[in-house]
Amino acid sequence: MPQLICIDPAEQAINVTFELGETILQATHRAGVDGIIAECGGGCSCATCQVILNADWDETLDAPSAQEADMLSFAIDPTPYSRLACQVELNEKHDGLRLLVAKRQY
Amino acid sequence: MKIGIVGAGQAACTLIAELIRGQFDGNILVFNRESRSPYQRPPLSKSWLKNPTDTQSIRLLPEPIETHSSVQWIQEHVQAIEPDNGAILTNTRHTVDHIVLATGTRAKRLTIDGLPSDKSHVIRTVDDAVRLNHKLSDALNIAILGAGFLAFELASSLDHPERTIRVLARGNRALPQISAKAAERLVDQSPASVYVGIRIDRYDEESAVLVTNHGPIPADLVIMAVGAEPNTELAKACDLGSHEGIPTDSFMQTNHPLVSAIGEVSLHDQPHLGESARIESISEANDTAITLAKRLLGQPEPFSATPWFWSDQGDLKLQIAGLCARSDEESCLLDTETERVVIRHRGDQITAVEAINAAKEFMAARRLFEEDGISLKATLEQGSLFRLLQSSRS
Ligand SMILES: Cc1cc2nc3c(=O)[nH]c(=O)nc-3n(C[C@H](O)[C@H](O)[C@H](O)COP(=O)(O)OP(=O)(O)OC[C@H]3O[C@@H](n4cnc5c(N)ncnc54)[C@H](O)[C@@H]3O)c2cc1C
Ligand code: FES
Repeated sequence: MPQLICIDPAEQAINVTFELGETILQATHRAGVDGIIAECGGGCSCATCQVILNADWDETLDAPSAQEADMLSFAIDPTPYSRLACQVELNEKHDGLRLLVAKRQY
Repeated sequence: MKIGIVGAGQAACTLIAELIRGQFDGNILVFNRESRSPYQRPPLSKSWLKNPTDTQSIRLLPEPIETHSSVQWIQEHVQAIEPDNGAILTNTRHTVDHIVLATGTRAKRLTIDGLPSDKSHVIRTVDDAVRLNHKLSDALNIAILGAGFLAFELASSLDHPERTIRVLARGNRALPQISAKAAERLVDQSPASVYVGIRIDRYDEESAVLVTNHGPIPADLVIMAVGAEPNTELAKACDLGSHEGIPTDSFMQTNHPLVSAIGEVSLHDQPHLGESARIESISEANDTAITLAKRLLGQPEPFSATPWFWSDQGDLKLQIAGLCARSDEESCLLDTETERVVIRHRGDQITAVEAINAAKEFMAARRLFEEDGISLKATLEQGSLFRLLQSSRS
C-alpha cells in the first residue's frame, strides 16, 4: 500500500499507509498520528487539522477551495504550504511524500 | 480508578481520547449497545449517505486509542445504574468508581395510520442509513417530515434527477432554528419542494400518498426528521434526570457525586446563553467531554465554551458561531450571490452569527466570542466580523 511519512509534533516520523481517494485526515486518523485534533471530524469547520506539506506536493494537488483557504487563515500560524488534512485527497502520486503536523492546532 | 461510560458516541469517545492523552491512571469500561466501532454521526445525512457501507471512513477513534490497554469495550445495553454502589447493570453487574452517562438522544418517530414499517425511516445510526439506502432504488417520491437541518441535508444528499423530494413542515416556515433570511437562501437552493403548515391524517398505501390537510402528497418513502429526544431513562430511574435531559453543574457532575453526564443528553448552564440548555451538536459533545476529562484528570475547569455548529447542504455550507433564542433579532451583514451572513442579536449584543459559504466571518465570530462579547454597532461599522477582529488585534 502507498505510504506517507508524517512528522508529529514530537518530531517523531510515522509511516502512514493510505488508500487511494481517502483524505490525509482519514489516513492519519486510522494510524493514530498525534497532534491532529479534527474537532469537526472532516467537516471543514474547525481548522484543527492543519498539516504542512512541502514542495514535493506541488503539481500533485489542486489549490485549496475558497472554504478551505478561509478556514486555513484561522489555523494557528499557517504557512503557504499549510493545508487542512480533511480536505486533501490522496492519490498514487503521493506515495512516499512527507508532511509535518502543525505544532499547535489551537 | 475505574470509570464506566454508558454510550460510545461523540462525547464518550472524546472523553476516552482526552483521558488517554492526559495519561489517565486507571481503567475505562465503555458500554456500547451498537454492534460496531464508534462512528461519527454528521456524515450520515451528508454525502456519505450515498455509500453507507464505507464505515471505515467515519470511524470516531484512532485505532491506537480504541485498542488502548486501559479501555475495555462491552457491547451490551445498559439496563440500570445504581449510583450509590457504583454499579452498572447489563446482563451482568459491573462495579466502577465513577459512572458517566453519555447516552445521547434517539430520533423521534411519529405514528402515521396506514404507514407500513418498511416505508418509515429515521436517520440516527449507520443501520438506519443502510436500511434507507436499500429502499432508495425504487423510491421516486420521498417525503421528509420535519424542516430542520437534518431534513434539508437529507434532501440534498438524496437528490437525484428521477426523484422528487418534498419537505413537509408542521410549522409555518422551514428551518425555524435560524433566521428567516439565512433559511431563505438554503430553501431556495434546496432540491426539495417545501410545504408548510402540513397536518398528516394517514398514509394511503394503495396510491402511495400521505393524506394531508393540503391534499394527497406522493410518498414511496417517508423519512422522519422531526427531532430527537434524550435517552434519560437510566437517569430518571434514580432521580437524576427528566425527559428534558440530565441536569449537571458546570463540571458535568449530576446531583449524585459518583455520576456525571456529558454530550447532548446533559442539561447545564451555557455561559454563552446565560441560561441552562441542552444542545445537540458536536461542539457540545466535545466541550462537555473535555470539561469532564479535566476534572477526572485532577485539573477541573468549569464549562465555558461558546457553541458552534455546521450543516452541509449540497454546495452550501452553513456555519453558526454562538447560539441564539428564536426570538432574537436578525440583521443581514453580507449578501452576495454566493455568501450570506446574518447576525442575531439582542439590542447591541450579538448572540449568534449565521454564515453561509462565509467561513472567514464564522471563524472571526468564534474568535471574537472567545475574547469578549461582540457589539452589533461595531460590527456594522466595520461591515465585517473579519475586519472587526483585525482591528481589535491591531
Ligand atoms: C444524521 C445526523 C447529522 C448530524 N449532523 C451534525 C452536524 O453537521 N453538526 C453538528 O454539530 N452536529 C450534528 N449532529 C449532532 C451530533 O452528531 C450529536 O450532537 C452528537 O453525536 C452527540 O453526541 P453524544 O455522544 O452526546 O450522543 P450520541 O452520539 O448519540 O451517542 C450516544 C450513544 O449512547 C448509546 N446508548 C444510549 N443508551 C444506552 C444504554 N442504555 N446502553 C448502552 N448504550 C447506550 C447510543 O446507542 C449511542 O451510541 C448530527 C446528528 C445526526 C443524527
Ligand atoms: S477536521 Fe475540522 S476542518 Fe478539518
